[in-house]
Amino acid sequence: MSGRDPEPGAEVPGPAPWLFLAPLLVFAAVFLILPLGFSVYLAFTRWNPLGTPSWVGMRQFEFLLTRDDDFLRSLANTFVFAVGFVVLVVPISLGLAFVFSRARGKAVWRSIYYLPQLTNIVAIAYLWQFVLDDRYGLINRMLGAVGLRGPDWLTDPVMAMVSVILVMVWYDAGKNMLVFSAALEGVDREIYEAAELDGASAWRTLRSITLPIIRPAAIFVTITSFITGMGFFALILAMTGGGPRGATDVTALYAYRMAFEDLRMGRASAAALILFALIAVLSLVQFRLLRERA
Amino acid sequence: MSRRTIPLAIGAAMAASAASAQDAPLQVAMHYTQEQAAPLIACIEAWDGGAAEYQQISYGDYLQTVLTGRLAGQSPDIYNVYGAVWGAQMVENGVLAPVPDDLEAFVRDGYAGGTVEAATIGGTLYGVPTEVSVYMLVSNMALLRETGFDAPPATWDELREMAEAVQTTNEQGRTDTAGFAFFQSGSGAGMVHPWYALTASEGGAPYGADGEVQLSSEAGQAALERMAGLVRDGIVDPTVDAYDAFPAGGAAMMIMANWYESAIEDGLGSLDDVVVSAIPMGEDWRTLQYAFFMGVDSGSDRQDDAWALVRHLNEPRDGEPSCVAQMLDGLGALTASAADTAALPTPDAFTQPYVDALAEDRVVSQPNVMQASEIERTMARTFEEVLAGEAEVGAALEDLNGEVEDILFEFQ
Repeated sequence: MSGRDPEPGAEVPGPAPWLFLAPLLVFAAVFLILPLGFSVYLAFTRWNPLGTPSWVGMRQFEFLLTRDDDFLRSLANTFVFAVGFVVLVVPISLGLAFVFSRARGKAVWRSIYYLPQLTNIVAIAYLWQFVLDDRYGLINRMLGAVGLRGPDWLTDPVMAMVSVILVMVWYDAGKNMLVFSAALEGVDREIYEAAELDGASAWRTLRSITLPIIRPAAIFVTITSFITGMGFFALILAMTGGGPRGATDVTALYAYRMAFEDLRMGRASAAALILFALIAVLSLVQFRLLRERA
Repeated sequence: MSRRTIPLAIGAAMAASAASAQDAPLQVAMHYTQEQAAPLIACIEAWDGGAAEYQQISYGDYLQTVLTGRLAGQSPDIYNVYGAVWGAQMVENGVLAPVPDDLEAFVRDGYAGGTVEAATIGGTLYGVPTEVSVYMLVSNMALLRETGFDAPPATWDELREMAEAVQTTNEQGRTDTAGFAFFQSGSGAGMVHPWYALTASEGGAPYGADGEVQLSSEAGQAALERMAGLVRDGIVDPTVDAYDAFPAGGAAMMIMANWYESAIEDGLGSLDDVVVSAIPMGEDWRTLQYAFFMGVDSGSDRQDDAWALVRHLNEPRDGEPSCVAQMLDGLGALTASAADTAALPTPDAFTQPYVDALAEDRVVSQPNVMQASEIERTMARTFEEVLAGEAEVGAALEDLNGEVEDILFEFQ
């Protein structure tokens, strides 16, 4: 009798667990594993959905990585967008969480800052287009009223990238603030009281007590924000369309256009796989670095 | 169930499915809203050749929706195809059926030559032309008159002079009123279509008769140089989008298609001060047209019925315009059918110059090439870089030529 056999008299589980898991497994197979597998297959083919896929081996990857300047530029843009987003959103979310943890009516404040998450991203893009419009936008109108020429928020290549990063931070900060808020609420008050008795300053308390204790939350927020930044494109699609002159054309947007406007499913899948590999590697490196520091 | 009964059941199911396909109403898929297409829908529902129904697919999602439908085996029977952008790909992949002989004679005899060309791919006619769009110079005469000009420009030099005179800036150096403005669009058409018109006026064509890419021809370079010169000389602010600025009264001139009439009227309140005139390139001006055509899915179970419905919708009715022309007229859009043009009321002052351009054969068709939307997006990016001063006209067009050749190479 092998070690895996049930003990005499023990109840055999039967098919019930599999039956209960079946909906989830079927869902995962249909909506995750099959599309992912098909996408991997497509990356090695040339296919538009009107015809049949033809096998081209590594040629899509070779083209993207050696000849397609637009794709390489989109990778650089993606990296700038993701890093810019993480660098801003993590401290801002933490700051908001910290301020609201001591504020009156903190639930109300947290709800207000979470509201952008409940709003349609396309509506957000259009809203900010009105606010940031070079000529008629609210910000430049206000600056103009005091005699200042505002930046070309959406028509200058550098400012357009800055604009989409800032709007993305505005959109996502509330969600991350909630994660930090939960972590801050979890810190034992007695530790703060002990530090206060020992005469620790507010800065020292933050640096030596709060931040080390909430470091798992910080790691989580940093990595998930980075992954979000690397793969996000809906806001950019609606707000700048990847322009001006490709300045905000990120890889996910490039792959979307390649697939659904240019009907190059093979090349789009290859681009998506390269992006997936980059996100996986960079997230792993990030996770290890942050964990080692912890 | 026995082994014998399984194939019988499958056979019965297939027969039932085929019968059901024969009985199902013909699907007519177009991008017009139900409200816009109301006259056409009435004709579809009143057709005595069998059941048919209208299906709206938004313009931006049209090709994707059609593709998804085909993958699922649920294709519409009749399409309204944007010839230059979707046509070549649909034909290359066998989606469209060629027009039957009797209908081909109807099209070739009754429609403007350039528009028939727009529905012709690889020498074969794939549908009946429906909506036609033509580009012309559109001027806000109120703004031009304020600076002392009583008529729109007839030459490019006059356009430069007028645009410079009209342009005003505020204290922060931003353009308040633009003399001339390009319109910006995600597809790149706002940059590329005026360039096609200027290139044709310069006597050039983007592609040779054998399909050779010649974007960097002398005519192409001259056309782009004219556009870039406006920006380089401070006459045009490329950040001003004519799409918004013209209807808001913030731009005096733009090169635009006829379908923007209602937006201009809504924005300005009336078309009294709006004049449509020739592309300002002197006596030999030419312009661009693009057209939709109504075609039939090659996989339709009822191709004959579908073509009969296409004819029914596009054929004038006892001196009255066809159902399609009636719908287009309501939208302020153009038809290229001579019989429909004669049957329709006289166009308004805004539309008449567009009709005249078609009648006088001033138009060239947008090229029917593979990957048209990808190519136009690539072209627009290059043009924007040139206008921004980031690239020289000659070198940029040479590079662009190579890029487009690369795109087309895999389809040769």
